[in-house]
Amino acid sequence: MPRLRYRPRPLPDIPPKQLTKANLASVDLDECIARLYKKELLAESVIEAICAKTKELLMRESNVVHVQAPITVVGDIHGQFYDLIEIFRIGGWCPDTNYLFLGDYVDRGMFSIETISLLVCLKLRYPDRIHLIRGNHESRGVTQSYGFYTECVRKYNSANIWHHFTDLFDYLTLSVVIDNRIFCVHGGPFSLVISFVASLSPSANSYLPNPGLSPSIHSIDQIKVIDRYREIPHEGPMADLVWSDPDPERDEFSLSPRGAGYTFGAQVVKKFLSVNNMEHILRAHQLCQEGYQTLFDDQLSTVWSAPNYCYRCGNMASVLEVDTDGSRFFNIFAAAPENDQVKDMQMADKMNPGGEPGALPDYFL
Amino acid sequence: MEPPPPPPWDGILPHRSERNKSTSEEYSPSAIPTPINFVNLKPWRKPHDHKFLLPKKLINNGADLTFFHTTEAYRDIMEFVMKLNHSVCPRLLSNGRVQTFVLSEDEEDEGKYCVQVRRVREMLGKVEQVIEQVPAEDYADRRFGNRAFRRFYEVVFGKRGELFEGLGFNEEGAMAELGVYLMGSWGSPERLDYGTGHELSFLAFVGGLWKLGYFGTGEVALRQIVLVIIQRYLQVVRRLILTYSLEPAGSHGVWGLDDHSFLPYIFGSAQYTKPIKDEDDPVPLEGSAPGTPKPSEVSNAASVQNLRKENMYFSAIGFIYDVKKGPFWEHSPTLYDISGISHGWGKINKGMIKMYDAEVLGKLPVVQHFPFGSLWKWEQATDINMRPQGSTLHAASQPVPTTILPTRPYMTTDDERVVKYIEQGRRSSDGVPGRASNQYSITKAPWAKD
Repeated sequence: MPRLRYRPRPLPDIPPKQLTKANLASVDLDECIARLYKKELLAESVIEAICAKTKELLMRESNVVHVQAPITVVGDIHGQFYDLIEIFRIGGWCPDTNYLFLGDYVDRGMFSIETISLLVCLKLRYPDRIHLIRGNHESRGVTQSYGFYTECVRKYNSANIWHHFTDLFDYLTLSVVIDNRIFCVHGGPFSLVISFVASLSPSANSYLPNPGLSPSIHSIDQIKVIDRYREIPHEGPMADLVWSDPDPERDEFSLSPRGAGYTFGAQVVKKFLSVNNMEHILRAHQLCQEGYQTLFDDQLSTVWSAPNYCYRCGNMASVLEVDTDGSRFFNIFAAAPENDQVKDMQMADKMNPGGEPGALPDYFL
Repeated sequence: MEPPPPPPWDGILPHRSERNKSTSEEYSPSAIPTPINFVNLKPWRKPHDHKFLLPKKLINNGADLTFFHTTEAYRDIMEFVMKLNHSVCPRLLSNGRVQTFVLSEDEEDEGKYCVQVRRVREMLGKVEQVIEQVPAEDYADRRFGNRAFRRFYEVVFGKRGELFEGLGFNEEGAMAELGVYLMGSWGSPERLDYGTGHELSFLAFVGGLWKLGYFGTGEVALRQIVLVIIQRYLQVVRRLILTYSLEPAGSHGVWGLDDHSFLPYIFGSAQYTKPIKDEDDPVPLEGSAPGTPKPSEVSNAASVQNLRKENMYFSAIGFIYDVKKGPFWEHSPTLYDISGISHGWGKINKGMIKMYDAEVLGKLPVVQHFPFGSLWKWEQATDINMRPQGSTLHAASQPVPTTILPTRPYMTTDDERVVKYIEQGRRSSDGVPGRASNQYSITKAPWAKD
């Protein structure tokens, strides 16, 4: 049984002015990381340079990245920066602990920029110690509706850094395999046949085939051939990977109530694992009251890492620690104490220079 | 102030396919859209030969959304909102005193409600009773939303006949048509979530009753629709949200106005606007009634507790305090920013209506579920022009594979158009034809519906 296992650790001691190997012209990555740990924003030019460099790094990653345990897997963060720091406090700081993030870093929360800036800097600084998968929110379309765009304009007075980050999102990998036995993705596996049928007919439900008909449709190799360097399309395998959900009440694929991706049942999971010789599917994408959910006889788990989601859901969160022997341990945690603190208005002032409420939506101007 | 006369119009709107062609990819402030001209929306006398229809979902993509903004349904929804909004504005009486209209929890006030309002209120009470009968289930593997909500939905669905009977309503076709909107009001049993789309469905239900003449033609009934019926509905919904943990899925998190609701912010701000003299006065676009609280009181938890009893805006804010933890400016930055507006509740009211138009009626993920029938018609209204920017705004929010469109999610919707809403929302004369304004277009069907 999972249990609370808090192991609070202090911030890593980072020498203030040490130039890194990455040597991004004048950007000192360690200093950036130290600032971001303190929730300070980086200058736009720095973000631009870091994103450009990270793109080069990510471009070399396959659509399916292979990594080794021990590794700690993190689900949706959604801009809950205090809780991200809590994860490092509990699970260990980077690079002492290996991390795999399953996507949805931005949108909805108050500190998406701080969150994604920190994760990108850590990726650039420790490329083999931290892996970032793309979630359905790492997209231009979604971030314009669900907050990240608004946050960028509000905090930087222009959409430039939104462009830098969303351009970078196009390069994030789509899946990770741990020790050749755990398949990790944001949403779920996909079916090429389903995606194809869906593109033909809006009422694809009536045509949903039995995945058993074609053993090849579940192959991980087919993920490798996706041209991923683009905005997430509204359908097709790439969309399915970031949008799909498991449905314990069904066996096969069916249309998702989300309007994108599919829901998949027990048979799909079973088939996928046997075709690819894997043991487990690990994904995020869905809020879980206990912070995690395990389905289909422990063949699939959902890990959710945003406690008290949106300041209100009262849910727990977890990170999943995968050990070298393949064992999995959900380390469960609640919202970081900083969320509750009555902060003085200095914090608000930082966001609204002048101390007054500001940055009104245009409707009210 | 008289609006400038509209330029001559040849009466021809481009074909839908033409309208959807990209004419301009970027918002251009010089393209000032023509305000929508209102027909005078009135309850029908008696729909003798009226054919009711079972409402159908017809919005499936961006092009449909653009068309929606030319339909009679869109025009009538907007106009109904404006009428309700106008009805709760404070009045300057002939003796110089100001009459405001506030919420009441006093049971004695029930006698003052007109009988139809009382019936709808009782119906909502019956729905609330179902919540008591169907407690949340306790099960180990639950995600977030509680599956017992599906049972609640089934029970209410089974009681539809009884609920309509209580309204004194027995026309089968009308019951079937309105029933779809009523059942759309409680949230999604599939996704276990609730949002402004469901709220819109309830508005369509009450608006449908009103159109059928159920509430008569008076302003008093309109006011009671807002302060009694809609407020009671919101109470039931808040209880649903708490009982079954309906997800804030589809919410914008801290970057939206509110996780679930919108209408209380419109009508609540109207309750505090500068008083108007009579029914013909437009809703003031600035200023507050004397003695009303400052908008900045939203950050004061104690004030909110007091004011939530009388005002819908504060009632909604109070619910946020009930459910959210942390500093107000952090979990609700949009409402916090709005609380800094110094031009009074009228200004807030105007902004809320613009925002509702753009963020609720203008967003595919919200309105795609809205069904159309005989009361809310999927027919092009001849007396309105293209709603000029909602589609562009949203079109710009869609994924574009190779290029990035310049986008402005908080794009200014046209002030003048809303001013017109407000001026004409009360009782307009016959619509003066305007001209087709510059067409904005969809470049890509939206797909993100999380």
